[in-house]
Amino acid sequence: MTFVRRITGVFFSPHTGRRTLTTSLVTALLLAGDHAWALQVHPPPEGLIAHQLAHAFFAATMAVLAYWLQVNRFVRERGWRLIQISCLLLLLWNIDAFAGHWIGLYVPNEVFVGEPGLFSRMVIPGQSVWAMPYVILRLDHLICVPAILCLLLGIRALYLKVVAEDGAGV
Amino acid sequence: MEGYSLAPVVLVDCIGSALMIVLSCGCLRFAFLLRRARPANVLWTYLLAFSLALTAFSVSRSVGHIAGQVLGFAGKGDVWRALLPYSGAVNTLTFMVVGSITLFFQRVQIINRGILNDQKELEKASAEVMRLNRDLQSLVEARTRQLSASEVRYRALFEGSMDMIFIVDHLGRFEDLNQAGASTLGHESPDAVVGVMSLKEFFAKNDDYERLMQELRVYGFVRDRECLFRSRDGEEILVLLSMSVKAPEPNVTRGYHGIAKDITARKQIERQLQRADRMASLGQISAGIAHEINNPLGIILGYSQLILRGCDKNSQDYEDVQTIERQAQNCKRIVEDLLKFARSADTRKTVVDVNQCLRDLVELLARQFESANITLETRLHPKLPPVMGDTEKIKQVFMNLLVNAKQAITGSGLIGIETTTLETGRIRITISDSGAGIPEDLTEKVFDPFFTTKPVGEGTGLGLSVSYGIIRDHGGTIEVKSEVGKGTVFTIQLPAGD
Repeated sequence: MTFVRRITGVFFSPHTGRRTLTTSLVTALLLAGDHAWALQVHPPPEGLIAHQLAHAFFAATMAVLAYWLQVNRFVRERGWRLIQISCLLLLLWNIDAFAGHWIGLYVPNEVFVGEPGLFSRMVIPGQSVWAMPYVILRLDHLICVPAILCLLLGIRALYLKVVAEDGAGV
Repeated sequence: MEGYSLAPVVLVDCIGSALMIVLSCGCLRFAFLLRRARPANVLWTYLLAFSLALTAFSVSRSVGHIAGQVLGFAGKGDVWRALLPYSGAVNTLTFMVVGSITLFFQRVQIINRGILNDQKELEKASAEVMRLNRDLQSLVEARTRQLSASEVRYRALFEGSMDMIFIVDHLGRFEDLNQAGASTLGHESPDAVVGVMSLKEFFAKNDDYERLMQELRVYGFVRDRECLFRSRDGEEILVLLSMSVKAPEPNVTRGYHGIAKDITARKQIERQLQRADRMASLGQISAGIAHEINNPLGIILGYSQLILRGCDKNSQDYEDVQTIERQAQNCKRIVEDLLKFARSADTRKTVVDVNQCLRDLVELLARQFESANITLETRLHPKLPPVMGDTEKIKQVFMNLLVNAKQAITGSGLIGIETTTLETGRIRITISDSGAGIPEDLTEKVFDPFFTTKPVGEGTGLGLSVSYGIIRDHGGTIEVKSEVGKGTVFTIQLPAGD
């Protein structure tokens, strides 16, 4: 009888309130059981959503890092200032990529014509209003390459400063 | 329908992807160099990890893009479409990794700041320790110099002292002794005493040592105690000893340090001065008495001789007056002796050969001494300088001493006569005997007038007093040393003449 009371959570001691609640919830879940599928089905859009969420996460972390560099006054040094610019550019790139992926869903394949080749492929803007924005957004390297360049210059500046300090015997 | 070429997009995509790989590898390189330059800086470690993740992101994405373009141009669009989900998934993964690493920045920089602060504190503390160490070192050096100077100063005081300074342990064993101390105790070097001998061994009287130690234990010090030491060669030395406990703290082995001043010579001079003073007083009294008695004696003698001239030589009166005259003559002799003692008698000084005087006396007394089984041993300095004096009086002194020596010997014995020169320009005459000796308390009185140990009637007690007066009159000194049962030594010092 004691066992049953413990399982059902009917146990009115003020010292065991939390345990009683947990036991009650577990009991409720057990009683409300249905088919227990071990694997969940992942339909095709899930990959894109995961990718987009990753872009959003990436963008958010870059914003956070740029903020931290600012509030912690790292940006007084040239190296960290360049890294902060790099973060902001990567933030911008993530927004660009996020938008590109999203708009890409609304651009039909007919917009792009021609045989595969550097100069043979064409875009027909009249087919969709999203065609040209999509093409422009696909020029994302114009953002991410400067971002990585700023990062490179930033780290290099920090390194040169350290080398100069070591050379000065600091 | 009008279209636009996608060539710019493709070119930007391909060139941009290639640049991404190159630039991210550059980031990785500098991040690596940075970390290698400052391996202890956790921020650079973080930057390396961040660069590594970004490089992975760049490579993953750029390789995918380039592969997509190449496969598209090659007409393998279906292959690219098959690879596209994997490429996208890897890209997603790299975004998450980069983002995740980024979020550690704040924690890392806090840790790094803490480490840097700790490092600064450590450096500050280290500098402080170094400064203290330097200060301490210089303090120790200064103190060592002071101690060294002090040690030199006190060592010089210790070594240069003319008095004996010593340290003994609780058993009285010498722990340290200065050169003057070693010399006082008859040793050439302190090394012969320190760690080898104890203070007790130098005390002539064991009771003195025990009493001294007892007082040290009770009071902790002893001040200006006159003690009799016996040196290595057996000579007795009178010292003024002050001692105190070295380490009165509990649980520390006790020891004593002390200073001993040799006052033998001073004491001797004091005794001589006292004696001279006493003798001077006695001399004045004696001279006064002698002068006062001399005149009545002269009258007694004169009248006695007048009466004798008028008396029948066979009468009783003649014999009686003759007795009066004889006794008056005795009195006159005593008075003359007293005057000699008091230096009131005339002295005719000439060059005196002391050796010759002694030879004359020895020759005179030899037979007498021989019959009394007394051996006379003479060691006369062959080049003894002469003295200025009265030959007869000097002979009288020697005669007195030799007669006294003979009388001191019962049965057979030895009388020694020795002359020698001293560095002080004086000569020394020593007359010793192997007789009964004089008790210590009487040696001070032997030169006093009328002092005698002989039976009544055998001596007037003026012999040594007269000798004392004569020697003093010649600018010399006469000393006596005696030990009961061993004999007596009279030492005369006289200034050598030109």
